[in-house]
Amino acid sequence: MEKIVGKPITRVDVVDKVRGAAVYGADVKLPEMLHGAVLRSPHAHARIVSVDVSGAEALPGVRAVVIGENLPGVLTGEAIRDMPFIARGRVRFVGEPVAAVAAEDEATALQALDKIKVVYEPLPSVVNAVKAMTADAPLIHPEMMTYARIGILNPVSDSNIVTVNEYRQGNIEQGFQESDYVFENEFQTQMVQHGAIEPHCAVAQMDAARKLTVWTPNDSPHRLRKDLLDSLGAACSHIRVISTFVGGGFGGKGGVKAEAIAIALALKTCPRPVKVVYNRAEVFLASLVKHATVIKIKTGVKRDGVLVARQVEIVWDTGAYAEKGPVVCSQATAAAAGPYRIPHIHLKGSCVYTNRMVAGAYRGYGTPQLAWAHESQMDIISRKLGLDPLEIRLKNVLREGDVNPIGNPVHSVGVADCLLQAARDVGWKERKELSRVTPEGRYRGFGMGCSTKNTKTPSGSGAVIYFHQDGRIMIATASVEVGQGARTVLAQIVAEALEVPVESISYSAPDTDFTPFDASTTSSRTTFHMGNALKMAAEDVKEQFVQLAAEIFNCTPQEIEAAGGRVGPAGRPGEALTYVEALRRQFAAGACVIGRGFYYPPEARGKAFHGSPSLFWMYGAHAAEVEVDTETGRVEVTRLAAAIDVGRAINPTNCLQQIESGVVHAVGTTLLEDMVVDENGRLLNPNLHDYKMPTAMDAPEILPSFVEAYHREGPYGAKGMGEVVTNSAMAAIGNAVEDAVGVRLTELPLTAEKVCAALKEKKRQNDAKKRI
Amino acid sequence: MAARFRKKTIDFRLNGVSYTREVKTRQTLLEVLRDELGLMGTKVGCESGDCGSCTVLLNGKPVNSCLVLAVQADGCEVITVEGLEKNGKLDSLQQTFIEEGAVQCGFCTPGMLMSAKGLLDENPAPTEADVRRGIAGNLCRCTGYVRIVKAIQKAAETERGHR
Repeated sequence: MEKIVGKPITRVDVVDKVRGAAVYGADVKLPEMLHGAVLRSPHAHARIVSVDVSGAEALPGVRAVVIGENLPGVLTGEAIRDMPFIARGRVRFVGEPVAAVAAEDEATALQALDKIKVVYEPLPSVVNAVKAMTADAPLIHPEMMTYARIGILNPVSDSNIVTVNEYRQGNIEQGFQESDYVFENEFQTQMVQHGAIEPHCAVAQMDAARKLTVWTPNDSPHRLRKDLLDSLGAACSHIRVISTFVGGGFGGKGGVKAEAIAIALALKTCPRPVKVVYNRAEVFLASLVKHATVIKIKTGVKRDGVLVARQVEIVWDTGAYAEKGPVVCSQATAAAAGPYRIPHIHLKGSCVYTNRMVAGAYRGYGTPQLAWAHESQMDIISRKLGLDPLEIRLKNVLREGDVNPIGNPVHSVGVADCLLQAARDVGWKERKELSRVTPEGRYRGFGMGCSTKNTKTPSGSGAVIYFHQDGRIMIATASVEVGQGARTVLAQIVAEALEVPVESISYSAPDTDFTPFDASTTSSRTTFHMGNALKMAAEDVKEQFVQLAAEIFNCTPQEIEAAGGRVGPAGRPGEALTYVEALRRQFAAGACVIGRGFYYPPEARGKAFHGSPSLFWMYGAHAAEVEVDTETGRVEVTRLAAAIDVGRAINPTNCLQQIESGVVHAVGTTLLEDMVVDENGRLLNPNLHDYKMPTAMDAPEILPSFVEAYHREGPYGAKGMGEVVTNSAMAAIGNAVEDAVGVRLTELPLTAEKVCAALKEKKRQNDAKKRI
Repeated sequence: MAARFRKKTIDFRLNGVSYTREVKTRQTLLEVLRDELGLMGTKVGCESGDCGSCTVLLNGKPVNSCLVLAVQADGCEVITVEGLEKNGKLDSLQQTFIEEGAVQCGFCTPGMLMSAKGLLDENPAPTEADVRRGIAGNLCRCTGYVRIVKAIQKAAETERGHR
């Protein structure tokens, strides 16, 4: 029975945070620091005819001006290197950087932007992903086939399609023939943003020795460093990345963002550092968004509700640059059939350029959009067949040892229990006993959904533990605290493995000079991968203390017992020494024990990048109660039950916090949030009054719980969970709306206008039927 | 400097300490706190008064410091998150935020604490609806607000118990 793992201890970083003492990216201040500002394109697609920066350079207080031509050949992008730090020759979205200025203060930098003269020649643009796939669509990246790219991409030359990924199992046509019913539906999801309250920023400095250091709230310092080395080449061979605390990530704080601008300027202002802080409009325009999608889903079922065949076709709108879009497409499309047993599948995803904001990783990595489609359709299916939505799902969901739709056997599968718990908590069985209409005259409805998400496999995490002579233990890893509680959970794992108090553990800043390689703090992978790496490092520390004790007690290591943070001869506990005592005994002049661990999934050694079946799958279920006002169309989510399979709850409070987070986040995506881009590619609501995120008054009653389907390779059985917490909530709400007022909405968000329009249309159809 | 601005000398009390400073008339209170007084606890989130991460108390009332000109603080009392603790002892709100798990990424936390402080100073026995309304101007993406609301209610109880 574990002592610290499984306990809801207080997070280790909260004291600093409530005192306002935690350092985030924009809090970094360095001597002689300059301020950067960015001039951005007003056009969605245009040729840059000329850029005249002489007026800006002449302004007193301006120390550097950079344009795209100053960085020849510099292209970045994790999947395909298609994006310049600053636009060169052509702009591809409204908000793309065209020039940058570093000045003594922010006001001067902003004034300098006004003095830069840019002449554009507008080009035809395309802002709809489906249209962008047609033969006569303007080409956004005519040079696409010349860009360096990773192996899993399948670009279509002379098109805007940056990759197509397909998965097949069984025989899809045979599957549909064997079905009693075939359902075909189309769903759409909108462009939304992560909404982290902290804006993007970075401080970069090239010192006199030509070493570049970057301080940034970035979720993956080693990956950022690699991306920068790949793009900067000889311009910069020595790069150090330090990640600060991150004020919310949700996938949006990865890759090269404000860092590109800060670095471009720092190369010129050497040795003075440059700070670039995006304002909220810049965050909206020029950081990342969630892929908008058009999803066609065709499902064949038997009349008893058993799924036979599923065909899903997704168009992923990846915006003007690919960023992580191709990997989202490849990884998410593999999950498109949902957490079900289905023998015949054909899944196809196309990742398409448009002249819109750049889309990339966003909590769920494509699976929220898919869950909107497959869980909405499950409800359509259950209605037609006259089956309870819970029963049809329980009949079809994956169980331990089943083969998933893409042909992989699955282990650690808690989705059935998630459904049962969410149903129990929302009062699913009793729902018919409640009156359809509330005392205020609103219509009540219930809906549910379930979902799954994979994790990027393979990936590696390295960790070092320093056991200092005063008993202080320093965990040195590049895992980033983005608010998910990584520091706390990892400290608990080390405390458990070493049998030491959590209070004796400190945590270093992620720093590519000192903290070993970690793939990223993404993909809900940190507890599993870094947790395992730290367990290995802790075992290494323990083993060294056993060796030390063998020296002290003049016996063999096999005769030494390590227990409760002490080491001594087995069977003689009275003689055992604490770790600190053992160090002092042997090393009177001072010492440190260094433990190391590196975790990489064993079966994936020697296999290709992104080449292995997912190491684990996460599962979740949501059940919602809504009230719909048929006069205004307004949907209110009154209660939302959420049950997530976490493998093992290292810190139960942490898990519940994530689940609560996901519920409110999902309410935003389903009812409130929409980045409105007009036909000219201009974002109409780049601010927080017109882009509506949920406030404390928009939150429903949240009924969170978790399920523990132990994973045999996870640390103490844990998997990951952060990205599956919104997925099935969207369809749960949409299904509840149909239950309440009999209208099926297929496009997010479910605004009052859409509900009203649907109700009017339904009434019109009913009236027409009556007249016949 | 290329940019020229009018300046004004203002007197104000900040976290219990008196200051006399020359500020530019165009500077916001938020800019002065972070850029000149080294108080980084108050955050910049939107600069349009929508997210609340810049909330401070101005003469006891929660305000978005991104929308307050520094010169408006002349003759006033300003309290930031750094001013909540007294002699190293955390305020009861800070305590309950820790205990109730109301902090995840922590970026909205200073603003939340200041809005909550302003609310409880005015209404020591708020209902849950009062609390939600009191922090409606503070956006949080991490927590779902549940534990923040609990923490504020618990702090209110603690404070009432002390009287």
